[in-house]
Amino acid sequence: MTRSRSKIWLVLLFPVALLSCSSSNSNRIVVGSKNFTESFILGELIAQQIESHTNLKVERRFYLAGTYICQQAMLAGRIDIYPEYTGTALTAVLKQKASGDESDVYQRVKREYEQRFALTLGPAFGFNDTFAMEIRGEDARRLHLKTLSEAAPFAPHWRAGFGYEFMERADGYRGLAQTYGLHFREEPRIMDLGLLARALQDRQIDFAGGNATDGLIPALDLFVLEDDRHYFPPYAAVPVVREQLFEQHPEIRSAIAGLADKISNAEMQRLNYAVDGQHRDTQEVVREFLKANHLVQ
Amino acid sequence: MATPAIEFRDVSLRVENTQVLSGFNLQVARGETLVLLGRSGSGKTTTLKLVNRLVAPTSGEIRVNGEPNNGVEVTRLRRGIGYVIQDSGLFPHFTVEKNIGLVPKIEGWPRDRIQARIQELLQLVGLPAEISTRYPHQLSGGQRQRVGVARALAADPEILLMDEPFGALDPLTRDELQREFLLLQQRLHKTVVFVTHDLREALRIGSRIALMEAGKLVTVLAPEEFVKSSDPWPAAYVRAFGDGLDAAASRGVS
Amino acid sequence: MNVVRFMVQNHAQVVDLTLEHLWLVGLSTVFAMLIGIPLGIVIAHRPRLNKPVLAGANIIQTIPSLALFGFLLPVPWLGARSDRLAILALTLYALLPIIRNTYTGICGVDPAVVEAGRGMGLTESQLLFQVELPLAASVILAGVRVAAVISVGVATIAAAIGAGGLGEFIFRGLAMVDNRVILAGAIPAAMLALLADVGVGWLEKHSRTR
Repeated sequence: MTRSRSKIWLVLLFPVALLSCSSSNSNRIVVGSKNFTESFILGELIAQQIESHTNLKVERRFYLAGTYICQQAMLAGRIDIYPEYTGTALTAVLKQKASGDESDVYQRVKREYEQRFALTLGPAFGFNDTFAMEIRGEDARRLHLKTLSEAAPFAPHWRAGFGYEFMERADGYRGLAQTYGLHFREEPRIMDLGLLARALQDRQIDFAGGNATDGLIPALDLFVLEDDRHYFPPYAAVPVVREQLFEQHPEIRSAIAGLADKISNAEMQRLNYAVDGQHRDTQEVVREFLKANHLVQ
Repeated sequence: MATPAIEFRDVSLRVENTQVLSGFNLQVARGETLVLLGRSGSGKTTTLKLVNRLVAPTSGEIRVNGEPNNGVEVTRLRRGIGYVIQDSGLFPHFTVEKNIGLVPKIEGWPRDRIQARIQELLQLVGLPAEISTRYPHQLSGGQRQRVGVARALAADPEILLMDEPFGALDPLTRDELQREFLLLQQRLHKTVVFVTHDLREALRIGSRIALMEAGKLVTVLAPEEFVKSSDPWPAAYVRAFGDGLDAAASRGVS
Repeated sequence: MNVVRFMVQNHAQVVDLTLEHLWLVGLSTVFAMLIGIPLGIVIAHRPRLNKPVLAGANIIQTIPSLALFGFLLPVPWLGARSDRLAILALTLYALLPIIRNTYTGICGVDPAVVEAGRGMGLTESQLLFQVELPLAASVILAGVRVAAVISVGVATIAAAIGAGGLGEFIFRGLAMVDNRVILAGAIPAAMLALLADVGVGWLEKHSRTR
């Protein structure tokens, strides 16, 4: 009887014992990313940059399905760095209203993240992947449209398509429609982000809520309407890092600093297109980019 | 009678809508073997359980060694009273020695004293010493019952309650155990309250027989008086059990 | 085999996710035992409570796991950390088999043995720990076994809310439409379930009294 009792304790303590030997592998960095192309590219960029500038081993934990899941993984210590957008951090994670320009938002997010989560932001990559309200290039030229305010009166003739997160977020569709008085022909269709551009080109929809760095914008001759009422907050792409990581590994901090301001909007569009449009391997594309920018040692 | 070991004073027990026991008065003298005889439903088992407070009376009082038995802490009371039930009620997951040694262990006896006591008891009930490491399911019915008695005697209680302890055994084994019980009693002189529905058994081992019917005490008689009684109930029992009772009544150890 | 090669190449992540999975399942099963076994003992001794308690646990089990995760997300302290939430949800799911088997196990102990024990002067807690629980142990462990196996399965869904574990491979594989990745999650999960079944089953067998 006592023999099996002690065995029961063993079984119960075993998982606890296992856990304590898991994440204490401090020479290993885990880089995360969300589940769309631009996020993979940035994640891969961070990973390769760290690999080439430090002695650390990098694990990639990509395809995390959304902002909440990435944040949870950071808090739980399952990932150490991942690429985020300042506007998303502000509204979706910190749940605050968007206001102020790009540097205001960056500072606010950095401060709050440090205070609340012991996380910090690395320097911005250099582009603003804000929401881009796209229409076909030919429509923009024909109707002489440059801004969203100018396009609003035409909305009742158009069908719109948006991604799931955009429809649900407070800083998404609802606010946009209110700010510009948009009333579309029917309820907007919810579509996978990757399919929006093609649907626009194929005339299944006339107005798409995409992202400013979509690779397909130049490729398919799509026009991005200007957000003249400044509804959308800035979405500067930044690496989110655990503060402890920078303290334990200052070499990571300098590696990441090397990426500051290296990617313009146009450059990001090009990278996205290389992977999405030309179906090239992400790792290849990133390696090429790093070489071309003399970032590899 | 000097202070009786057990005394029932006007005890009644009502359970839901049934009067299980009414107006029960009885004294059990120290060192005697009092048999509670009756058929099923007569209330004899319940009466037994009133002594160690497994059951509480609706009215009336039970005294053990002169003190009301609800005045003392119940586990204290029970540890001073041995309890043997039909089919032994041995703990199936304990060896014979763990079964016997349980009460001494929780009473804090030192290990060697317990071991010595176990050996002593096994000898007393006629079991070989090697049996102490076996489990109940490895023993015969008779052996189990002997262990049950040993267990009840472990902490050397003055009073022993036995509820049809030999009822589930075959006649040969039953006979053997009855004989051994008598020998044991001659040595130990415990106060025993013994429940049975078997008149032959009652006559053989009891010093007095308390006959119960429908929750009432009908009569209390010594065995010789019982067989000769002309009262309706005892007479009915004698008739029901047929001949050869005289021999039983004189408690022949043949 | 492709899957094996993939798993070997990514062995660090396979190990990470497996350990995360074990943590989720292990912790929640332990919590469910800490809550469910005492609850089962209480309702075995107080039969009037047994219907509401068992009914409550039953209702929790009928809620689809993904829905339960979803309900709990907006809850203040819980929803802030998805692993906390997942562990709570997994604990709730493990309750029914454990409570029910504890109840059945204790009720199944021979009442004559319990009464003999009581008559001998054992206190209620001595009766519980030295007689009832040891005799009910194998039935209780059968309940723990069922709970653990269920937990391994439900824990794969926890990845959907960001709690990590082997489900992450499965969801990733689905998004990438890559079977190797799916299997890299599904196979270890199935093996964990088997391990739990056999492991606790062995304990169960060895605590059985004839």
